[in-house]
Amino acid sequence: MVNTLVKLSNATRAVNSGSKEVILLDGIDMTVKEGEFISLMGPSGSGKSTLLNCIGMLDSFTGGGYTFLGEPVHSMKEKHRSRLYKDYIGFVFQAYHLIDELTVKENIETPLLYKNVKSSERKALVADILDRFNIVGKKDLFPSQLSGGQQQLVGIARALISEPKLILADEPTGNLNSKQGEEIMELFSELNKEGVTILQATHSESNASYGSRIINLLDGKMVSE
Amino acid sequence: MILNYIKIAFRSLRKNKGYSFLNIFGLAIGITCASLIFLWVEDEMSFNTSFENQDQVYYVPTNQQYEGEWRTFYSTPGPLAQAMKDEIPGVVRATRSSSEERLFTVGENAINRRGRYADADFLKIFSLKFIEGNIEEAFKNPEAIVLTKEIAEQLFGENEKALGKVVKMSNRDNYLVTGVIENLPNNVSFPFDWVAPFERYRDGAEWMTEYGNNFSDTFVKLSGEANFETVDARVRQLIQEKSGSDGGDYAFLHTIKNWHLKSKFEGGKVIGGRIAYVRLFSIIALIILLIACINFMNLSTSRSEKRANEVGVRKAMGSNRSRLMIQFVAEALMMAFIASIVSVLLLLLLLPQFNLLIEKELVLGLTNPLHILVLLSITLVCGVFAGLYPAFYLSSFKPVEVLKGIKVTSGSASFIRKGLVIGQFTVSIVFIISTILVYQQIQHVKNRDLGLDKDQLITMRTNREMVNKYTVIKQDLINTGAVKNIALSNSQLLSGGNNGSGLEWLGGTNTEDVLISFRYVSSDFLETTGMELIEGRGFSESIAKDSTSTLITESFAKLMGEGSAIGKQITRETNYTVIGVVKDFLYGDMYGTSDPVMFFNYHNYARYLYIKTNSEVAASDALSQIETVMKKNNPAFPFEYTFVDKQFDARFKNEQLVGKLSQIFALLAILISCLGLFGLSAYTAEQRRKEIGVRKVLGASVTSIVKLLSKDFLKLVLISIAIAVPIAWLTMSDWLQDFAYRIEINWWIFIIAGFVAILIALATVSFQAIKSAIANPVDSLKTE
Repeated sequence: MVNTLVKLSNATRAVNSGSKEVILLDGIDMTVKEGEFISLMGPSGSGKSTLLNCIGMLDSFTGGGYTFLGEPVHSMKEKHRSRLYKDYIGFVFQAYHLIDELTVKENIETPLLYKNVKSSERKALVADILDRFNIVGKKDLFPSQLSGGQQQLVGIARALISEPKLILADEPTGNLNSKQGEEIMELFSELNKEGVTILQATHSESNASYGSRIINLLDGKMVSE
Repeated sequence: MILNYIKIAFRSLRKNKGYSFLNIFGLAIGITCASLIFLWVEDEMSFNTSFENQDQVYYVPTNQQYEGEWRTFYSTPGPLAQAMKDEIPGVVRATRSSSEERLFTVGENAINRRGRYADADFLKIFSLKFIEGNIEEAFKNPEAIVLTKEIAEQLFGENEKALGKVVKMSNRDNYLVTGVIENLPNNVSFPFDWVAPFERYRDGAEWMTEYGNNFSDTFVKLSGEANFETVDARVRQLIQEKSGSDGGDYAFLHTIKNWHLKSKFEGGKVIGGRIAYVRLFSIIALIILLIACINFMNLSTSRSEKRANEVGVRKAMGSNRSRLMIQFVAEALMMAFIASIVSVLLLLLLLPQFNLLIEKELVLGLTNPLHILVLLSITLVCGVFAGLYPAFYLSSFKPVEVLKGIKVTSGSASFIRKGLVIGQFTVSIVFIISTILVYQQIQHVKNRDLGLDKDQLITMRTNREMVNKYTVIKQDLINTGAVKNIALSNSQLLSGGNNGSGLEWLGGTNTEDVLISFRYVSSDFLETTGMELIEGRGFSESIAKDSTSTLITESFAKLMGEGSAIGKQITRETNYTVIGVVKDFLYGDMYGTSDPVMFFNYHNYARYLYIKTNSEVAASDALSQIETVMKKNNPAFPFEYTFVDKQFDARFKNEQLVGKLSQIFALLAILISCLGLFGLSAYTAEQRRKEIGVRKVLGASVTSIVKLLSKDFLKLVLISIAIAVPIAWLTMSDWLQDFAYRIEINWWIFIIAGFVAILIALATVSFQAIKSAIANPVDSLKTE
């Protein structure tokens, strides 16, 4: 029995730009099942990032329905939504977005702090993931002392630390060279094999090919699967 | 979690050294400054509070009416104290007293000290703490004297018993030490080093027992149950009842707690006093803290762009707004904490200088829980206050926007920032203007025509021997060539002294209610002090010849009506003939007008010697020559002297203090404001880096860019000037109202202050402006 993580029905996102309403996402219908690795593709401005942000609850849809693990996100209270999001979603950014003032170890630890995980448990979890990603030796370095690939590795480790059900990755290899990019994608498919659900936005056909499914977006509409 | 915040705060401090320095240093200056003021205020407020039951202790001043005005004097008739104790229920203790400086000699040791003649109740009213002897027995012996530990040690040596030993006063009378008391704290309005029974004061002269003569400082203690209003009402009636005159003087109660701070009287009522300065400076301390906090807010929010990303990430990681706010407030608190540590160091460094300046002995007292509490609360309040706005502002960022790199729209923030800068500069400009005006006012009074010549004038306290040998001393002094002239007087040149009313003269108006000062002087007084004789002649050297002659001042002559006053008769018990008119001179209140004066040619009771030295002889030489003469003719007394111009300067202590302090505060306020402005201009330059790059590529010159960047700040300063000028004008005219003799506020002061502010602001801003204007545009454009 495979759980449905995300279900969008006729989801819409519009913003007011001056007096005009601009529609960023238009009637999106999609489901993400546990264990899937989906690639969102489309040119710049097609709405990939907006869709990821809305699914990731950093942003919200302005119309339609959104259920996460069967719970209706669109009609949820802020507190509830925040809990859901902390427990089940991890983010990976194109620009890594590590906190400059924190070391690798501390960056990875941050989401646990916000989940009020106990100190001893935090230490164990962080040690585990450092080990798993082979970056134990770098744990006390600051982001600026790492290469782009290493930074993104830390970014992914940080996204995984709270054991989310869904990883949202917005152009995770966008700032990396092709070799580093490949390594990251390898890591993603490995994680996927271990059961992590991944939804990535990407420009690159080759990156998209790591996924089990591709969704194409154009001008805020889904064009094909 | 907290640890994480602290870590991050520390690292961001380290990483942004310049910014952290501006922030912490600015706040530290603010806290230091406020702490200094609070220490001063604490000291001022603590005056006369070291006595037990100080709430029940009262000073008794009298109100006397002259020319329709009630004037308040700190002197009462001699018998009043006993009468109050006998007749007013509630008054449990009362004492007469009079403060005098006396020479004490024990063997080789001789020192001059101020102390009091008083009744036995004095000891109990102030609960003096006896180290040797005891409070009950101390005044049983009529020849008793009680000394403080300090003077006892100086006279008898350390660790030596003083009790039961004899000390010689004024090289004449013997006193038996019946008690040694603990030294008084510094914050006492009426410091004394010895107390002796009042009976021996002026050998118990007859006039001291009459109601007509006001001379005694009367203190009383009420019982714990006594009702102040009831007792005070009775006190107000007492002098009239006793003296039988009505509508005349009356005494009243003035709590010793208010003596120091609220002792300015007008129309017979307290209208304030030093309390005004205490309030003023407390407000200034708060204002300085405020502008330091404003700095903090400004610098914090101006760094928002740098922090925005972190906010976005943390929100994406699951942080909610309140946690971020806690984080930012915690950071601010930490900065404030570091700032307060820095300020403690600064205080340790600056306090000795500050003490010199204000002539106090303030101590930091870090073991005093009150001080720690105040410091901690300042730190907490500053941290929270300064951190709250940035916390609100920064935590409001939307993660989607900041992570995408959308510029934070800082409309409201920049508006508030500008407002804050205007606030800071307004305060600074007000300080600049006040500093100039206070300085001007002091100079104005100092340069006023005194009617006497205070330069090269030395004054010494006399003793009986000195007066007896006056002619010899005078001759010896003049023979040295260092001295031009010497004279004796019964009161200090610049002080009030002996006065009275009720004179009569033929054909004149009755001066029953005009207060006249009496001066008993030797014949050379006018020449020595440089007073100018307008009409007639001075006193002759023979006392006998001019024993019924008098000199009067110009204002007195005017009182006597039209025409020359020479030859007119004035009746003061006997008749005196006016032989000369002296130009009015200034004494007493340096800002007011002095009462008319009547001089008598009689110096046997003189208490002050005035010596005019030769201006061609160096002061140090003259002094050593004078010392030689004094040692020869008056060997028992130590050579102690004061320069009259120093005494004159000392009259301006309060105002000078205000002047100096406002100078310091002006400087600090400007410094803090500049730190803020510097940070802000760095931020603007950073924000407009790309714009500047584009403009330069399009051909803009360096000067045009500097102008572009400075213009906005200049506008803010101009607005500050517009706000500051009326505020400064109003407060300073109010301050000047306190002085009868005062300056007019000139408009050009405002222009100067404004100009200074603009200059300082420009200097601060242009550093950044020039730096970014000469930067290579390629660098700034590439990064985008």
